[in-house]
Amino acid sequence: MANAVEYNDDVVKKFVIACVFWGVVAFLVGVVLASQLAWPELNLGLSFTNFGRLRPVHTSGAIFAFGGSALFATSFYIVQRTCHTRLFGGEALANFIFWGYQFFIVMAALSYVMGYSQGQEYAEPEWHLDIFLTVVWVCYAVVFIGTIMKREEPHIYVANWFFMAFILTIAVLHLGNNLAMPVSLFTAKSYNVASGVQNAMIQWWYGHNAVGFFLTAGFLGMMYYFIPKAANRPVYSYRISIVHFWSLVFMYIWAGPHHLHWTALPDWTQTLGMAFSVMLWMPSWGGMINGIMTLSGAWDKLRTDPGLRFSVTAVGFYGMATFEGPVMSIRSVNALSHYTDWGIGHVHSGALGWVAFITFGALYYLVPVLWKREGLYSTKLASWHFWIATLGIVFYITSMWVAGIMQGLMWRAYDAFGFLQYSFSESVSAVHPYYVIRMLGGVLFLTGMLIMVYNLIQTVRGPARQSVSPMMAEA
Amino acid sequence: MFIRHETLERNAFLMLVLTLLVISIGGIVEVIPLFTIETTVEHVTGVRPYTPLESRGRDIYVREGCYTCHSQMIRALRDEVERYGHYSIAAESMYDHPFQWGSKRIGPDLARVGGKYSNDWHYAHMANAQSMVPESLMPHYAFLAETPLDLDDLLPRLKAQRAVGVPYTDEELANARADLLTQADPAADNAALLKRYPKAVQVGRGGAEPTELDALVAYLQVLGTMVDFADPANENLRQ
Amino acid sequence: MEVETGDLIVGVAMVVFGLIGLTLAAGATDNEMYVFGLSLTAFAAVFGVGLIRRHYDKAEAYARKENGHG
Repeated sequence: MANAVEYNDDVVKKFVIACVFWGVVAFLVGVVLASQLAWPELNLGLSFTNFGRLRPVHTSGAIFAFGGSALFATSFYIVQRTCHTRLFGGEALANFIFWGYQFFIVMAALSYVMGYSQGQEYAEPEWHLDIFLTVVWVCYAVVFIGTIMKREEPHIYVANWFFMAFILTIAVLHLGNNLAMPVSLFTAKSYNVASGVQNAMIQWWYGHNAVGFFLTAGFLGMMYYFIPKAANRPVYSYRISIVHFWSLVFMYIWAGPHHLHWTALPDWTQTLGMAFSVMLWMPSWGGMINGIMTLSGAWDKLRTDPGLRFSVTAVGFYGMATFEGPVMSIRSVNALSHYTDWGIGHVHSGALGWVAFITFGALYYLVPVLWKREGLYSTKLASWHFWIATLGIVFYITSMWVAGIMQGLMWRAYDAFGFLQYSFSESVSAVHPYYVIRMLGGVLFLTGMLIMVYNLIQTVRGPARQSVSPMMAEA
Repeated sequence: MFIRHETLERNAFLMLVLTLLVISIGGIVEVIPLFTIETTVEHVTGVRPYTPLESRGRDIYVREGCYTCHSQMIRALRDEVERYGHYSIAAESMYDHPFQWGSKRIGPDLARVGGKYSNDWHYAHMANAQSMVPESLMPHYAFLAETPLDLDDLLPRLKAQRAVGVPYTDEELANARADLLTQADPAADNAALLKRYPKAVQVGRGGAEPTELDALVAYLQVLGTMVDFADPANENLRQ
Repeated sequence: MEVETGDLIVGVAMVVFGLIGLTLAAGATDNEMYVFGLSLTAFAAVFGVGLIRRHYDKAEAYARKENGHG
């Protein structure tokens, strides 16, 4: 069966390499930024090394370069396997998607450090880059949906529902949030069409669903393929998959206003956002249960398969982050948590624990398969990676919890005379130790990543596979 | 299930259309009314477009990514109002393309920083934040003081903002360059500037040409000062 | 060997990108647009060369296979 169709794995391999490369870059820049916050002299006072310009390099690098490459790689891998057909559109188009996307990333990073930014979080690239990305994205949609259209299987597999929703929604969000008026056709600077409160709402409709569809729906597609595959069990519940999918895509879109509690955004919008954010807990945990319970009867594999260990831990972190999120979206909790490092901690429990871990799981699975190797170079090193990275996450999120809650409490503390007890700068010096711990957490996470890089390189350089092991058998 | 899900799983087109429908509802319900409900942005007196110099300062604020550490949105909470001033209202950012409300306070909120410190304080603070606030984590922006402000595309920039709804008049555009130079020169006669842009703060340290730092300081000094909350005309703020 | 339709479409797109890039770089009023324009042209040129190279590699492999089968 596996030999019947010749899959386009070339583009998958390229995206796997890009994913690993950008992962190292994004984590490294993250460590640099964390160090700058602990020791501000490290900003160096140069325009292109200051925090404000580097921060988008880190966020775009982690989300779009590392996460995006992982999504391209896995979606192209999965859609071919589950549709039993080669990628639609030919090699040239697939190659263009790869190189075009890489070009976009490099140009975007370059434009940030040169000082060109739309000034909206996670949507920093200016209009010309947005248009270029739109071209690449349309090609991606054509290839992915085209492959589904010419599938040899009657059913569309659940992972592909999530990938389709991700591709479609990201296109809608990208176009909606980036409507801008350039100063001229030959000038990179532009002004967003919306302003003030409407701009804020559109931005967080975009921003939260970059999380909901880029970092969640797409990665759930990975969960629904790699966990059953590695555990060699079917998905726990088909019915939960259906409910999970439709409720998740319906509810996520509403959650944006929880980024704007107590602001000048009208109360009715805030309340809607809060209500849907709390309701989101249900589909999120439904999905988590569906992922984890897929292992029932195969729990012993966690001991032997380091990739699967990453994937399952990722789903655990997903459950944790999607519990924390609804709590933080409650207005009275948000009054304390917003603007503090609690938010940063929350984002990273999702980004490191969920997104990066499920990607690592997929990479440990994919590299031996794609390069036709017997197995990983070293499962022991993969275990080391797992524990070092987990420790790094624990350092990161616990220090940010403490720092964030401390900031929130200090900002609202009153003394015995009814005056504000602390100046802002006192809250800045109070969190210094936690900023150092956070930086160390980042260093651990980066170290784990480098161990993986070494392990994967050695795997590729190792001997080719002699026989088809059961793990390599195609779906 | 009202319809058999299998039908969707076998028809990619149907699935895509339904997904598009499902993801559209939330956005439509939350975004579109903000453009149509009249009370979303309050009717207050005092909010005006930025002066040419302030607007260029705002461009630099966006360029340097100041929003990554500073919010410009005082929430309607007791401690924030006491720390930073009257809570921010939607009208105050109605000409902000893009909005810069921010999401993180590594540094303090800046929504009402205007007039809180002297120009001299800002110049010193931007060059070396730790010289004014030892605990500060802020990078140094001394290079802004050494970079002359690019005036070549001043008019296209203002016109682009007018195209997206900032009500610059023809008179204001015609005088843009003069107004900018006036505001950047503390010795210049600013009567015409103030007539067009009330509360505009003159900046500059008597240098030959305006620098990027002059523009940024002019922008910071107007933040949150446009609306006079003591004015009885602004008493009935509704949301 | 025929030129693949996909190659042709992407190839034409690269020509268009290259020209857009040159136009942007030529008219650019700021550094970013200048760098972007030149880079876009370079990207299009390199990608185009890659397309041509891949086409001939394939054609050669095809010819060798044909010969092999005699």
